[in-house]
Amino acid sequence: MDAIKEFFNFFADPRVFFMLSLSALVFVVWRRDLFTTLRVGYGAQLFLLLFFGLGLFDPNFRLIVAKPDNVPIVFLIFLLLFFTWYSLRQGVANDKRITAGQPVNEKVDEDRVWVWPDLVYIELICLILCSVFLIVWSIMLKAPLEQPANSAATPNPSKAPWYFLGLQEMLVYFDPWLAGVVLPSLIVVGLMAIPYLDTNPKGNGYYTFKERKAEITIFLFGFVVLWSSLIVLGTFLRGPNWNFFGPFEYWDIHKLEALTNVNLSEYVWLRGLGIGLPSNWFVRELFGIALVLVYVLALPVILARSAFRRYYAKLGPPRFYVGVFLFLMMLALPVKMLCRWLFNLKYIVAIPEFFFNI
Amino acid sequence: MAGKKAVGHAYNIDFLNVVFAASNIFLLISIMWMIWDDYDREWKNYQRRFVQLETEVTRVGLAAAMADVDAAELARLQSEHVAAELALAAQQDQIAALEEQEEILGTQLTIIDQRQQFAKATYDVDKYTFEVAREGDDPASYADREANISAQYDAWLELGLEVERVTAERDGVRAQLADLRRGVTDLDDQIGELTSETTRLEGQLDGLAPSFVEDYLLNAPLIDFMAPTLKVRQVMTPNMLDDLNFIRVPKIDRCMTCHLAIDREGYEEYPQPFTTHPDLDVYVGGASSHPLETTGCTVCHEGMAQSVSFRDASHTPSSEEQEHVWEEEYGWEEPDVWDYPMLPSGMAEASCAKCHTEEVHVPEADVLNLAYGLYERAGCYACHKTTGFEDLRRPGPSLRKVEAKLTPEWVADWIRDPRAVKPTTWMPRIWYNSNTSSPVDAQRNEVEIDAAVAYLFASSADHEFAARSVPRGDAAEGLRLVESVGCLACHVTGDDGRLEAGPRRTFGQALQNIGSKTTDDWVFDWVRDPQHYSEDTYMPNLRLSDQEAADVAAYLMTLTGGSPRAAAATYDQAFADSVLLDHLKAVVPTAEAEAIVAGMSAEERTVELGERVILRYGCFSCHDIAGFEGARPIGTELSQEGTKLITQLDFAHVELPHTKIAWFENKLLDPSVYDQNRVLQPLQKLKMPNYGFSAEEAELLVTALMSFQREVQPAGALVPGSARNDALRIGRALVRRRNCVACHEIENDGGDYRALVDDPALAPPLLTPEGAKVQPDWLYAFLKGPIEIRPWLDVRMPTFSLEDEHWNQVLDYFGAISDSIGEFRAHTVVTSRGGAVATGEELFDLLRCQQCHVLDEIPEGQPTENLAPDLRMTPERLQADWIIDWIRDPQSIQPGTRMPAFWPDYPETFYTQFDQTAEPQIRAIRDHMLTFSGGPRPADPVVEAGS
Repeated sequence: MDAIKEFFNFFADPRVFFMLSLSALVFVVWRRDLFTTLRVGYGAQLFLLLFFGLGLFDPNFRLIVAKPDNVPIVFLIFLLLFFTWYSLRQGVANDKRITAGQPVNEKVDEDRVWVWPDLVYIELICLILCSVFLIVWSIMLKAPLEQPANSAATPNPSKAPWYFLGLQEMLVYFDPWLAGVVLPSLIVVGLMAIPYLDTNPKGNGYYTFKERKAEITIFLFGFVVLWSSLIVLGTFLRGPNWNFFGPFEYWDIHKLEALTNVNLSEYVWLRGLGIGLPSNWFVRELFGIALVLVYVLALPVILARSAFRRYYAKLGPPRFYVGVFLFLMMLALPVKMLCRWLFNLKYIVAIPEFFFNI
Repeated sequence: MAGKKAVGHAYNIDFLNVVFAASNIFLLISIMWMIWDDYDREWKNYQRRFVQLETEVTRVGLAAAMADVDAAELARLQSEHVAAELALAAQQDQIAALEEQEEILGTQLTIIDQRQQFAKATYDVDKYTFEVAREGDDPASYADREANISAQYDAWLELGLEVERVTAERDGVRAQLADLRRGVTDLDDQIGELTSETTRLEGQLDGLAPSFVEDYLLNAPLIDFMAPTLKVRQVMTPNMLDDLNFIRVPKIDRCMTCHLAIDREGYEEYPQPFTTHPDLDVYVGGASSHPLETTGCTVCHEGMAQSVSFRDASHTPSSEEQEHVWEEEYGWEEPDVWDYPMLPSGMAEASCAKCHTEEVHVPEADVLNLAYGLYERAGCYACHKTTGFEDLRRPGPSLRKVEAKLTPEWVADWIRDPRAVKPTTWMPRIWYNSNTSSPVDAQRNEVEIDAAVAYLFASSADHEFAARSVPRGDAAEGLRLVESVGCLACHVTGDDGRLEAGPRRTFGQALQNIGSKTTDDWVFDWVRDPQHYSEDTYMPNLRLSDQEAADVAAYLMTLTGGSPRAAAATYDQAFADSVLLDHLKAVVPTAEAEAIVAGMSAEERTVELGERVILRYGCFSCHDIAGFEGARPIGTELSQEGTKLITQLDFAHVELPHTKIAWFENKLLDPSVYDQNRVLQPLQKLKMPNYGFSAEEAELLVTALMSFQREVQPAGALVPGSARNDALRIGRALVRRRNCVACHEIENDGGDYRALVDDPALAPPLLTPEGAKVQPDWLYAFLKGPIEIRPWLDVRMPTFSLEDEHWNQVLDYFGAISDSIGEFRAHTVVTSRGGAVATGEELFDLLRCQQCHVLDEIPEGQPTENLAPDLRMTPERLQADWIIDWIRDPQSIQPGTRMPAFWPDYPETFYTQFDQTAEPQIRAIRDHMLTFSGGPRPADPVVEAGS
């Protein structure tokens, strides 16, 4: 039993967890035929059910999962998996029909459906059942109120509301002004820009994957891997002092982690060149600044001429550059994560003189 | 069913109907469940059960009250009542006529009264409108309207007269009726008076009787918001605040929702939550100083005031046993949502300090007072700064002249394990604790012990004994002296435990095994004049003669024994050097440390290490040691320890209930316990020494810790600041810090020495009335240089070396107790011996005062316990007013005194003088006493100046 728990604890390590969710994404996209079978769909739900059901026998697991605050996130895992599976299943089915020259499923049943009674009726039933569900939930799980807030004793771990846990996770890798201000603004701006960037009319009103491969993959990466899985990770796996804890691990406040992070400038000047750090900040951070400029300014141009040549042609320069910029910003998170895990890299550009770090 | 799907329908409607019906049933069930969940509260069941209990208790009370009623008297009154009713019936016609008349007049009165009210209202409105309209206009044009207004006024006055007339008429009729009925109503009153208690209880029982409307309808789910009989009860206390960190709000205590009889007598024997508070005279009771309405519950008991569930109120069990019972019965869990869970019942007195701030002695709070006593005795304040315990003397003796007193070998044995040498000592064990007992540690311990000893002796100053020739002492006589002059008030010689002996008898060092500790010469020098050896000692001078001091020394030297712990390891110089290096590396770079060590001789190294060791373990906090004059105490400040948040305590690897109290208790029982299972370098280890506290001592000290609170309560809750209250607070602390209360009972506390004296009459006197009794000038002189008031006593008032400031605090304190502080008073002087004073003398002889009281000579033939002080001291010593109070009723001033009460029926009297009136008789005796002179008197306190 302990071996099984250790096994799961191992997968909860942020590096393994992230790599695992990334490979899951690759699997889902690449082997979507397999993924969207009923067997895999039910199997995955059953596996989750067993995992949580049996896991509840472990006191440490129960403490975290059954905490009234966290119960909705457990639901979220099931629902996220179900809806991803369901939409892809519909898309894959339609793709087959399209390849076979048949109309998509949504067009087949295109007879008129009565608002009354059909639609209103099922909406009413849904409303009632949701009310039942909420009432029972509120009776079974009491509101998780805590002691009066105290500025001298903040809770440890201090967690953001669940929907911001992805952002909070970014704080581990980025300076607050980036993770807390710039990147969230870009997310909002990016979401608003989508209708203007993505003018592909295909997929309107029906499920499909083949016709929107890149869009759906980017969406799944951004929403499921970067956003939702970081929420799950932040809820269940981040414990006191924002340390990582396996799902079956006791949240020991004394747990330590050996973290000694190094800035890029120190890599270059101290380790690479073997001389001291230049006293002038600009000289010191020259390499970092150059790297960032290359990433933000040069890389889009290079991409336009190489890998993304087709997109450049299709979208035109303004849409392409805005889109690629947003895409690169999204990728900045996993890139920085990898750098941290592989090289203990703290900041690419570190100018504490101006509180400016990247 | 799929076949039933009609054209245009996406779903089978019949099937949806079934789903709809089912989901509605679910909704209904869940709503009913919701209502029930909201309705079903544990406190309602307690209130229902309490109704039954209250009925039972009231029934018992009613039975008792009925038994108290004089049945014969009641029967007589009732038969008279019947007769009176009959007599009244004979006058029925007359009464009926009068009643009719009263009714008519009453109706008239109502009508006229209403008309008058209408008239007044209309008049007021018209007057106002008129005033507003006329404002700024020409008054002449309003003459008509003005006349109208004054006519209205007259009409109203007239109606008023009418009301008065009809009222008078009706009252006349009523008086006639009352006269006729007088016979019956008088008897009604008498019966009512006789049965008032039973009637009251019967009414109460009626109210408690089951009733459909009250018990079921008003409390039914959903309609119980209107006027339920089961309801949350609460008191709001504007002066008792909850600190919610960002705001302080008045407490709203709802404890009495379940603790329904907490402020009612008669429920003492019933189980919780229906028990009466154990001390209604002091707490909760309406007449107590902490009534429920203004004090509430949680300011003392803590816990979450507004919760009405057992778990959320944060109840704290007093024992593990209770914890298990609670877990089973109430689903109790360790409180984790309220920072200040309830105190276990034995610790509630810790909260006294919230309002009785900085009081070392809070009257009635016996547990807290004992806890503070232990806190001082253990010297906690010496290392841990604590508000209210600042600027106290160091708890241990001075070590500046240690060489004259002790040998290095003895000191090493002593500090290795003090309690092995003297079981009753408060000196803690610094080495060989749970984190320093391994063989490697043992070696290090020995190095540090030897070094500390070496430093103490190297820095010791010389001491010259005061007397060159010591008389030969007699140990038997010494034992008699020790047991009788008062040594045992502060010292124990036997093997009493610390808690058993109490903080007062462990005020001075335990004298166990002192013969193995020091020399005859030193003991003689010390008891003869303690200040000669140690200027700032608290040990007073008992004014022993040289012979007496020698006898005492001879006896004390016979107290030998103790089984010191042997050194557990040996070491070589290289190891000792490495230890010194360790200590030095903590403060200087390694190379420098090595240079320092290399530059010293072996002896210098030992002394240097000794200094470091004393600095690390904070020996200087308790002992005066040369070279550590400016050193800071080494412990955490404890002034607000009781309000410290649990997150600030490190439980490390110790399995414990997650509560502050458990953490503190565990820390006190083994101060090194939180080092358990940790990998630590020697200088990283916890260094609080081990006092070997028993579980009871630890619990008391935790009570003291929990009383050290952040100031939250507003000024209105605190003991009001006044000269008298200040004097009481300072005085109460002073008489404890100088251990006066070991011998004297003051304010119903202390006087432990009485237990060591065969006859209470031979014990040190009660000092509660001292402020009213003696003149401050005399008392001041007496305290500076005590004289023998009762020469037949063995126990002696010692000479204390207090500063004038402190003596004044003592005098103020006595004045505050008897509320005579700060009054200028003329001395009552008697100049003539004739007249009333002569009668006083007559009475003085008649009452044979001299049979017990000394008047120059000690009366013969009296057992010593009957003897009383020399009355020649009266004019200088006693307060004239007090003498009168004392002669009149000595027992009320000093219960148990042997002074007879000569006027037991005051103001009646047996004696014929002054026309058999007591007051002038007592006054005359007093006046006679005031003519005395020539008694013993303390020397005038003088300060020599100009030398």
